[in-house]
Amino acid sequence: MKTLKVLSALLCYPQPEIQAALTEMIMALDEENRLPQSQCWAVQTLMNQMRRTDLMDLQESYIGLFDRGRALSLHLFEHLHGQSRDRGQAMVDLLETYRRHGFELSARELPDYLPLFLEYLAQRPVDEALSLLTDAMPVIALIGARLAERGSDYHVVFDALAALVGEPASIAEIRRQAATEGPDETVVNMDQIWEEEAVTFLANQGGCGINRPIPDAVQPVQWVPPPDSTRQSARSL
Amino acid sequence: MSHFLDRLNFFKKVTDTFSGDHGIVTNEDRGWEDAYRARWQHDKIVRSTHGVNCTGSCSWKIYVKNGLVTWETQQTDYPRTRDDLPNHEPRGCQRGASYSWYLYSANRVKYPMIRGKLLKLWRDALSLKKDPVDAWAFIVEDPAKSAEYKTQRGLGGFVRATWEEVNPLIAAANVYTAKQYGPDRIYGFSPIPAMSMVSYAAGSRYLSLIGGACGSFYDWYCDLPPASPMIWGEQTDVPESADWYNSTFLMMWGSNVPQTRTPDAHFMTEVRYKGTKTVVVCPDYSEASKFADIWLHPKQGTDAAVAMAMGHVILREFHLDGKSEYFNQYVRETTDFPYLVMLDARADGSYVNSRFLRASDLSDSAGQANNPEWKTLAFDEKSGNLIVPNGSIGFRWGEKDGMVGKWNLEPKEALSGAETQLRLSVNEIRDQVVPVAFPYFGSTQHPHFACTSHDEIQVRNVPAKKVRLANGSEALVATVYDLTLAQYGLDRGLGGDNVAKTYDDDVPYTPAWQEKITGVPRAQIITVARQFAENADKTHGKSMIIIGAAMNHWYHMDMNYRGVINMLMMCGCVGQSGGGWAHYVGQEKLRPQTGWTALAFALDWHRPPRHMNSTSFFYIHSSQWRHEKVTMTEILSPLVDPQQWQGTQIDYNVRSARMGWLPTAPHFDANPLQLVKDAEAAGQAPAAYLAEKLKAGKVNFAFEDPDNPVNFPRNMFVWRSNLLGSSGKGHEYFLKYLLGTTHGVQGKDLGEEGGEKPLEVKWREAAHGKLDLLVTLDFRMSTTCMYSDIVLPTATWYEKNDLNTSDMHPFIHPLSAAVDPAWESRTDWDIFKGLAKTFSEVCVGHLGVEKDLIALPTHHDTPTELAMPDVKDWKRGECDLIPGKTAPSLIVVERDYPNTYKKFTSVGPLLDKLGNGGKGIGWNTEHEVEALATLNYTVQEEGVSKGRPCINSDIDAAEMIMMLAPETNGHVAVKAWAALGKITGRDHTHLALPKEHEKIRYRDIQAQPRKIISSPTWSGLEDEKVSYNAGYTNVHELIPWRTVTGRQQFYQDHLWMLGFGEAMCAYRPPIDMKTVEPIIGQRPNGNKEIVLNFITPHQKWGIHSTYTDNLIMLTLSRGGPIIWISEVDARTAGIVDNDWIEAYNVNGAIAARAVVSQRVPEGMSMMYHAQEKIVNTPGSEITGTRGGIHNSVTRTVLKPTHMIGSYAQQSYGFNYYGTVGANRDEFIIVRKMAKVDWLDGEVSAETTTAEAH
Repeated sequence: MKTLKVLSALLCYPQPEIQAALTEMIMALDEENRLPQSQCWAVQTLMNQMRRTDLMDLQESYIGLFDRGRALSLHLFEHLHGQSRDRGQAMVDLLETYRRHGFELSARELPDYLPLFLEYLAQRPVDEALSLLTDAMPVIALIGARLAERGSDYHVVFDALAALVGEPASIAEIRRQAATEGPDETVVNMDQIWEEEAVTFLANQGGCGINRPIPDAVQPVQWVPPPDSTRQSARSL
Repeated sequence: MSHFLDRLNFFKKVTDTFSGDHGIVTNEDRGWEDAYRARWQHDKIVRSTHGVNCTGSCSWKIYVKNGLVTWETQQTDYPRTRDDLPNHEPRGCQRGASYSWYLYSANRVKYPMIRGKLLKLWRDALSLKKDPVDAWAFIVEDPAKSAEYKTQRGLGGFVRATWEEVNPLIAAANVYTAKQYGPDRIYGFSPIPAMSMVSYAAGSRYLSLIGGACGSFYDWYCDLPPASPMIWGEQTDVPESADWYNSTFLMMWGSNVPQTRTPDAHFMTEVRYKGTKTVVVCPDYSEASKFADIWLHPKQGTDAAVAMAMGHVILREFHLDGKSEYFNQYVRETTDFPYLVMLDARADGSYVNSRFLRASDLSDSAGQANNPEWKTLAFDEKSGNLIVPNGSIGFRWGEKDGMVGKWNLEPKEALSGAETQLRLSVNEIRDQVVPVAFPYFGSTQHPHFACTSHDEIQVRNVPAKKVRLANGSEALVATVYDLTLAQYGLDRGLGGDNVAKTYDDDVPYTPAWQEKITGVPRAQIITVARQFAENADKTHGKSMIIIGAAMNHWYHMDMNYRGVINMLMMCGCVGQSGGGWAHYVGQEKLRPQTGWTALAFALDWHRPPRHMNSTSFFYIHSSQWRHEKVTMTEILSPLVDPQQWQGTQIDYNVRSARMGWLPTAPHFDANPLQLVKDAEAAGQAPAAYLAEKLKAGKVNFAFEDPDNPVNFPRNMFVWRSNLLGSSGKGHEYFLKYLLGTTHGVQGKDLGEEGGEKPLEVKWREAAHGKLDLLVTLDFRMSTTCMYSDIVLPTATWYEKNDLNTSDMHPFIHPLSAAVDPAWESRTDWDIFKGLAKTFSEVCVGHLGVEKDLIALPTHHDTPTELAMPDVKDWKRGECDLIPGKTAPSLIVVERDYPNTYKKFTSVGPLLDKLGNGGKGIGWNTEHEVEALATLNYTVQEEGVSKGRPCINSDIDAAEMIMMLAPETNGHVAVKAWAALGKITGRDHTHLALPKEHEKIRYRDIQAQPRKIISSPTWSGLEDEKVSYNAGYTNVHELIPWRTVTGRQQFYQDHLWMLGFGEAMCAYRPPIDMKTVEPIIGQRPNGNKEIVLNFITPHQKWGIHSTYTDNLIMLTLSRGGPIIWISEVDARTAGIVDNDWIEAYNVNGAIAARAVVSQRVPEGMSMMYHAQEKIVNTPGSEITGTRGGIHNSVTRTVLKPTHMIGSYAQQSYGFNYYGTVGANRDEFIIVRKMAKVDWLDGEVSAETTTAEAH
């Protein structure tokens, strides 16, 4: 699906080639006509704006948004696993998925980088792509909501992605989080987020360590964080 | 249409066939392989470690799957210790275990970054000028253009760049700077090479080849204890942690072992089960305190008073009352106690101790033709004569024929070789008893520390003996032992005042006296001192003191340390297994040192390299001297005439530098390349030419005019360090003056405010933004990166090959590349190699073969350490300017700039020609160079490096280090011991012969950590019988300490030591930094302000002491900057736990949360150091910008005694001697914040654009 490829390109670090291909991308969106009109216009407006803006200003603002800090990181697992050791395995699994379908990573990038993920999806049959995108949507929507909160025009790309598969069920909660979390939610509200849970040995049916992945089980790529994912990674210490 | 959308940016599609149709790609489901894969949870395990700033030096297993690091666990395969000792493992702590999470963190620097403003300027300039060097000149020579990017430092605005674009810019800046101002205007700062030697060496090799200056770090971090060079002539040498287990009385004095030495702490906890007594001395209830059998908690900063009072008890009971035969013999043979000191008459009839009696004072120089000024004397009990014993520093250098080999501790008279027993005191043979005046500092008033009311001059009776001098006059002498007893206030029955008969007398330094100052009950002092000594007497020295930064970061750290070391020496503990001084701060122990220095400072191509002591460098160039409030008359001895001792701290530094004591960078207000050209044009030898110009005042030292643009340091590299986020004392001054950007300095400089201006330094309008280019290499966006012009992404500790050693254990082990460097990052080795290559290309047409003039200070462990027996300043007309004697040596080094890359990547010929060595010992190393040629292969390409061994990769570099060093090559070890044996006249080769054929290679240590081989670079042994303990070979092999007397020195006789009242240890209260009074109450926010002492200990929840931005670690504490305060102070100020508070003074401000705890004593606050301002830091109400780091409220102060040079052990050495960055005497104003403002809503280091005050 070329639309996904266009959205992927828009989230890449701004480069002359991308600026030069903006016309091609606008046409591709029109041609494929996958996006609802309003989202399509919004994205095209962003593209026109990108065309007019000095490349280095675009780059500075990209770095200021996506290369600084965790809140807007385009590495999806940053939001799911953070600095927990689960992240390594999750990336390994994702890489395996790409390989299984004949795609070898050739860029010096991690497999969970959103533009990369979108490029992969763009190469897959539409149904499969949308289904995978749906799985990743809660994280993507969170980044989009934070961008909107900060008044960054980049949020239209995320809106477009949401328009392709529908917003995740938890969107209201996500928006509320983005609106209220302050500077960097993970840092400022750290105490609450990482608050130690009472240890129970008998109440859980599975006994202690229930939240840990069972080592023998084949672990598919998990996009949707388990309800307690942040807490889980804290405990995997 | 470009078909942009049809191209893949991130993937390559696996094609159907490969290898010329020999391989076929299938897409069938290979799920069956998963069962096989699952058996191996990882593809490989690689051995690596954590490589900048942790003494732990723990080996780790790094698990890699599909090219990604998944997790790490501790290695458990260290070679076993002996059968009576616990093993070293498990090593590794929670801080290390959280490291793998850094690799893929959002904070990782992924691409070369440059400030957009600078890149735009660069591209424009380059399109206009074509030549990169001209383009750089076009930018920096235009004040408007350079202000455009300099003022943006710390304010964000980065863009990604490519290596191909940034390398020429950096190289061009270096070339321009070298050509226009001189290569000594290029500075490099990187700390702790022991933890990743090759990475350090990469940058320092590049800088050394182009003539840049490498800055020291151990002294700047204030981890260097100057007391160690003073007493032992050794930078720092300590027991390995396993030796704690051999101790039977263990004191932890200001060292928080379980928190900061986590992997080693088990030796301390285990030995308690063997019955060892543990004593903790620490003002707060630290993690260590709970392990104590006795916990003493003196007021912070008064430890010297505790040590002096304990020394009083030990001297009384075990020396004067003669309880210990062992101590008596030990101090006679291994310390300067028996050596004679002259007593000078004062106008009032009293006397004052001055310098050691020297052979040169006696007629015919006591028969000593060589270096008689450097041979000290004692009375011999056997013959009754005044004799010159073996081993003083004069015997180390320049002896001929029969006098060679007398530099040893054999109890012999030097000329006749007769057996001796040195007399400890002249009391039994005294001619008279004289009143001697001693300086007393404990009555100095301080707004926050208690003082006593004793006279500042304490006159006490001392036995004296008359000695006839060469000029016919008579001099009075006493032994160091006699003076020490008097200094400690002991009544020996000689009459007179100011001495104590009992411990309850209120006389300095009794246990009763210290109560008022420290708050410790006298009974505790007596008990601990008595037991400490009793144990040492019975076990022959197994009392040990583990000591740390808490003691060393005070301005008068030397008194704290000398007080403690004196106790150890009095009790015969130094150099004895299970005893001695265990100072673990920073990390000085680069075990294969002599192999490394050749690589790191490019000694294989050029000698000498340019080195600089960073404390003086930063104090001067960040203009902290312009705000100096501590005058030197405040710390002078009351016994000297202040008229003779005028000047400020920078004045003393300038004098020191021009007399050849401390180094300089830049050297002069002239380009050293140009100076040689001018000399040649004038037909003169460069050194003579420059000496003439200096004398005439036509050329001046750069430090005499730091605000003159020709004297700015122009380019700076920072790698493996968070200089601005962690170690930059006077942070806000760095920002204001060195970087020229937004800052939080609150105070006025001396120009605006008045105050004592320097005498030797030109005062002119302050310069801002002295640095043209700041380049930082890091793997994460640290505070330093945020302020840099260019950030280069480096490989993490799991992405490079390197070497690692520690003083905590005897092993050498590697960092290895488990995975390739992620994104666009490169190893430090590759980054600097790349820069060397670009430099070699860019310099063509600007720099060719050039002659560079280096001003080299006199140096410890070289013959120049004997340059100045008496202080003489050529500028004051006290002597002539003689380079290498009364001024720095002026040495011409030829640089072949276009061949920089070829030199960088090959082993140069100077090793074959001049050999290798260190610490005053040299040996031939041709065999090792030949072996390297076979191991690394040789350069085939035509040019300067043809036929030389290659050093292309980081592993090649590691092999070079290990091949050349005695610690990792048995043949070299034997050669090194043999070389030392020539000077000592004793055979030491037996220490290495059993391991002669052992050669440790990089692949060996990847298999398992290896124990290193004993070498004379260090004073302990790697042995199957004893644990490594410092001073062991001095005591047991009779190798002298590298001091004036050759013994451990209680007494320091340099003129400046006497001037500042520190010939002997004394209690000196913290100094008044005067940073609170001008600002307290001036900026009310409605909340009560209190004043607290500001202490910055090592943190618990950061990765080592550099990284405090790991979320999981932060979670275990409060998640952002915190300051610990006591319950009493909190109540006074209306602060409750977790409140946002502000801490400030004239230096700047910090915003943090309060931790209110019973742990902290009243009047003190603690902020663990290196808490980053990029994490969770709101705006400061005082500065209007983002709250600073812990160093925002500090400022460096220098001490003249640390600037002494050309005087045996008190001579300069890189990280060995020099000024240190003390910061614990600082006070802050603390108050609750009225409003917490997160400024721009995003967490970043950027300050707001609001102009600071």
